[in-house]
Amino acid sequence: MTSRDEQPGNGNRRNFLKSAAYGTVAIGAGLTGPEVLSSSIGQARAATDKNLKMSFIQFLPHTVPAAWSKGIEDVLLKQGNIEYQLLDGQAKIEVQISLMDTQINDGVNVIFLQPVDSVAIGPSIAKARRAGIPVITLNIDAVEDHAAHVEMSHYAGAMDIAKAMGAALGGKGKVAIINAPPGIVIRDQRTNGFVDGLKKYHPNIQIVADQPADWDRKKAQEVFTTILAAHPDVAGAFGVNDSMALGVVDVARDKGLLGKLVVFGDDGEKDALESIEKGELTGTQYTDVYQQGRFAAAAATVIASGGVDASSFHSKGHLLIPYIIATKETVGQIQPNQRW
Amino acid sequence: MFKRHQNFALLILFLALFAFFSFFTRRFFSAPNIEDILSGYSFMAILAVGQAFPIMTRGLDLSIGSNVGLGAMILFDLDKVFHLPGWASIPISVTACALAGCVNGLLVTQLKLQPFVATLATLAAFRGTVYAVSGRQLYPELATQSVKDPWIRSLEGFLDIGHLTGLSRFVRLPSLPFSFLALLVVAVLAHVVLNRTRLGLNLKTVGGNPEAAHLAGVSVRRTQIVAYLACGLCAGIVAVLLVARFTTATEATGTGMELTTIAAAVIGGVTLRGGSGTVAGPILGAFLLGIILIGLTLMGISQFTQQILTGAILLGAVYYDRLTSDRQKSASGGVA
Repeated sequence: MTSRDEQPGNGNRRNFLKSAAYGTVAIGAGLTGPEVLSSSIGQARAATDKNLKMSFIQFLPHTVPAAWSKGIEDVLLKQGNIEYQLLDGQAKIEVQISLMDTQINDGVNVIFLQPVDSVAIGPSIAKARRAGIPVITLNIDAVEDHAAHVEMSHYAGAMDIAKAMGAALGGKGKVAIINAPPGIVIRDQRTNGFVDGLKKYHPNIQIVADQPADWDRKKAQEVFTTILAAHPDVAGAFGVNDSMALGVVDVARDKGLLGKLVVFGDDGEKDALESIEKGELTGTQYTDVYQQGRFAAAAATVIASGGVDASSFHSKGHLLIPYIIATKETVGQIQPNQRW
Repeated sequence: MFKRHQNFALLILFLALFAFFSFFTRRFFSAPNIEDILSGYSFMAILAVGQAFPIMTRGLDLSIGSNVGLGAMILFDLDKVFHLPGWASIPISVTACALAGCVNGLLVTQLKLQPFVATLATLAAFRGTVYAVSGRQLYPELATQSVKDPWIRSLEGFLDIGHLTGLSRFVRLPSLPFSFLALLVVAVLAHVVLNRTRLGLNLKTVGGNPEAAHLAGVSVRRTQIVAYLACGLCAGIVAVLLVARFTTATEATGTGMELTTIAAAVIGGVTLRGGSGTVAGPILGAFLLGIILIGLTLMGISQFTQQILTGAILLGAVYYDRLTSDRQKSASGGVA
């Protein structure tokens, strides 16, 4: 039996379509306004009349996946022939795996995924690939090979955060990392970027604590309170997401340390930007997450309408979304319609 | 008799929902979907059976999810840190969970703590231990590595009954996941223990009236400890099955399962007042919650609706239990 991929000419066509998918995304990445991007993608409307189904399985309800989903919807609903569903992983890997199974069985054309765990989701991604369903991960990569990964440029962004934080601290002092739980690739990317950034730009800054707070603002308050008790001279904190950084800001407010403590977050959600404007949070890595969702949806649309199946992807596409380090000086550049 | 009625009512509800989703949802009544339901919820059904044991003795085990997490992390560590083969690491993990269950039993019987308080404490303690012994925390490079031991990985296999029976030429039958076969073994053993042994009788007697059981010569403490040990044993079996399914153990493995298992057991007719319950009920309760989630997802209905529906069914089950209990009391002239 000859598989579809083994047929002469198919490989080239698949490679062309794969390139086209990323090409569309790359073109999209060069555009600045959401309207321009949407109309561009609208012109590249699905070449098929077949109705398509796509699902996004999020980690848990949060501002980031909510904004991705809105961005994804912006693109997919304009196609007119794509049915889209947002599903909640409830922060439980077993729920996410069950939802993956259900979507594979339902024969969806593309699955967008924000994995709860980068390893544990692996067998489900492999199952989707066997069923010919491309999986596109958002921000949290999976160790199992899949069609594409669209992320906020974690490593480079965290390096820039370290650079900006070190500058705010005057190149010396003690800092803490309020981290994500282990088992998620994003944790390593952001932590390594931050650590390498300090080594490169501010080698005299010492990391005195690195503790998980499970992405959660309340948990971050508890964790940072403990860190502060153990290291009263800590001068700065890097929250691996904004929620945790805002938890540190809450503690700083209670302890009268606002303005003294240098706190950086990561993601760039609306609350964090407002906190920067109020002079509480020092800065964050801002990414236009609506755009990130649109880019993922653009790639998915081309893949699905072009008939490219998951087995055609011999290596994972990796797309990094542009970002800025938002501080009191730069936060004004972010327009209201870019805030999420 | 009343419990049988409740199980019958539950079975009718289960079949009605199954028929509803099969009729209104594309691909619900299909071999792959039934495989997904079996592999996705067999472990919850095993835990619900385990949870039924302490509930039958007027207790409950809030630490069951943390115990699953502990067993899973021990198995992960034994494989990735100590490089122990599966034939050795699997029994060690299951034993550790059974012992953790035993600790719950000792807290309830020896320190005379309320089961809610005792198992709430161990819920936190076991979860803390998971973080403390996590190989993924101690050796960050292990965090993104999967378990490859063939003994463990083989537990995520399927039994192709269509091929075995030769029926695959005529119809696509669902393959049975190993976790479902494990559930069948657990269910048969639990049924035999509950209905054919002295221990089973003691469990119901202690749950029905501990003072009377004591006067009748039943060792109330030992019976309660065994109930929590059985619950821990089920947690251990599930821990192994989940590591096979995930190919890793996460620090959050089992989080929130305590409430789902209690809900499944109560929906399955295991009364929180103790003294009664069956094995089939909690299993049916767990799969009922599973088909609601999958059915509504396939229908494109929000999962929040699923949670509301689960709450409503739970309330209905408790109300039905209360109603039947009141009837029982009036039938026996007000004597409980």
